[in-house]
Amino acid sequence: MRRRLARLVFSLPGTLVLMLALFVASIAARQTSAPAPASIPAPAQPTAPIPESVSACLACHEDEAMELAFSDGTAMSLFVDVAAFTRSVHAGQLTCTDCHAKYDDDHPMGTAFESRRAYTLNSYELCKRCHFDTYTRTLESVHYEFLKLGVESAPICTDCHGAHNIADPHEKRAMVSRSCAACHEEVNATYASSVHGHALVEDNNGDVPACADCHTHHQVQLPGTTRFRLNSPETCIRCHGDETLMAKYGISTTVAQTYLADFHGVTASLSKHLTDDQQRIVVTCNDCHGVHDIASPALKGAEAMKATVQQVCSSCHQDAAPTFPAAWLSHYPPSPRNAPLVWAVESMYRFFIPFAVIGLILNLGLHVYRMSAGR
Amino acid sequence: MTRKNTVEYVVRFSRWARVQHAAIIVLFTLLLVTGLPQKWPGAAASVWIVDHLGGIFAARWLHRMTGIVFSGLVVAHLTVAITGLLSGRTKPTMFLGKKDFSDAINNLRYYAGYAEVPPKFGRYDYRQKFEYWGLIFGSIVMVVTGFILYFPGTLARLLPAELIPAAKVMHSYEALFAFLIVLIWHIAGAHLAPESFPIDTSIFTGRIRKDKLKHEHPLEYEELFKEP
Repeated sequence: MRRRLARLVFSLPGTLVLMLALFVASIAARQTSAPAPASIPAPAQPTAPIPESVSACLACHEDEAMELAFSDGTAMSLFVDVAAFTRSVHAGQLTCTDCHAKYDDDHPMGTAFESRRAYTLNSYELCKRCHFDTYTRTLESVHYEFLKLGVESAPICTDCHGAHNIADPHEKRAMVSRSCAACHEEVNATYASSVHGHALVEDNNGDVPACADCHTHHQVQLPGTTRFRLNSPETCIRCHGDETLMAKYGISTTVAQTYLADFHGVTASLSKHLTDDQQRIVVTCNDCHGVHDIASPALKGAEAMKATVQQVCSSCHQDAAPTFPAAWLSHYPPSPRNAPLVWAVESMYRFFIPFAVIGLILNLGLHVYRMSAGR
Repeated sequence: MTRKNTVEYVVRFSRWARVQHAAIIVLFTLLLVTGLPQKWPGAAASVWIVDHLGGIFAARWLHRMTGIVFSGLVVAHLTVAITGLLSGRTKPTMFLGKKDFSDAINNLRYYAGYAEVPPKFGRYDYRQKFEYWGLIFGSIVMVVTGFILYFPGTLARLLPAELIPAAKVMHSYEALFAFLIVLIWHIAGAHLAPESFPIDTSIFTGRIRKDKLKHEHPLEYEELFKEP
């Protein structure tokens, strides 16, 4: 019986039937197990009924004059703006005690914290109860390194996201940069005047990178390291290598390929995964285009770009002649108009290599044929 | 000239020729191993090779040092070859003549079955000559473009800087070409071909079997063993 079954399964029609059955089963399984499109409950309208547990808190905390005094003499308002909370991303999902867990009806009035910041630092870890993965990422950030060193102003969850008024960070991209600007004011001012920042701030353009798109959101690294530098082309190429995105702005994606194919691009590609001490500085996108002050090369003009390239080349190639930067083809792929010599050499090999290789293979094939058949 | 009664051998390659061949094997392999990963830096194999060589800067150092030794070999070869020819110590057996082109056509006709016998070859057949001259010109291209890439700043002071990317393209494609030729033509032709399989040892030992010489280089054989 078993053998007959095995024979059936391994026979050709048997195999086909089995495969068909598995295929149908896999489709059925996929349909049943497919996660329903993530349903994000629409933020409750300000008119939405307030749960009893919340209104109990509001009985006191709707008082705008309510304050908590700290031991350093400052005070914090304990007023909760209900309207702001009901507009927040957590409205309808969380109630007061989900975060303020220690507080019940007769909670202490006037806990002894030294300052407002001490209170905030003491309570921000509440977020990790739900957002644990995000929280762990922050532990690897340079911001957390500062916090560990005792720098109290290092940013924590609520500094960027707020508390009662948390908005969906995916919808409010401009908010990301504004959050960073709270501390990195100067950088933000430079960024806002760049081609990317201008589009984000003035036109609310969602395509351009905000701070976190290059620096990451929660795992922010120190940008001065060689590793960050050598990975920066990859950061730029995420957008500048995307043809559909670049087509919208009439930007060529060859900027990425031409850099990567260049001598320095090869160095960056082959050493970006190494630890810092094994790397040496190579030229990357930022050196010619800037960092936070990136300008459109088209608006900057060819002459200004050439002058920049000249300066960048000579910062390492001190012996270089003024003509040396012409070795860089300015991201243009070789063509009869741009770099005809390079184009001619390339075209010659592109024709000659397949021609010669196919010819040699045919010759060898014929040789073997004659030896075996014509003997 | 001859040995034993059973198998007779003829000296085919001088010690200098054998040393050069061995050196080429080592240098060519080293140059490919350190060079090809730079042609395809995105490939996982390239990253693996470069890491095991101690990083891209170490790999480039090794590539350049090997290149310098290779350049020395090219210069030495040309010097010996030219002085040998000028002094009359060596015969001009490697030069291409009209016969080589007609041999190529006739040999292809033989392979395809349009001729009964293959053409009679001399000391070097047309394939060996084409490969030799390909190697000579390829080596010169690699040495010249290699030095341009080694000292781009110096070149830009003397000549137009567009020669630098042109040299880079040429160095890269010529390397690929040489690699493919050696892979397909030289190893397959000289070692895996039905007559030579598994390996033609004459370039390593310097000797060739007398009957093999008669079969593959009949004109040279006739000249060597002319009836007085």
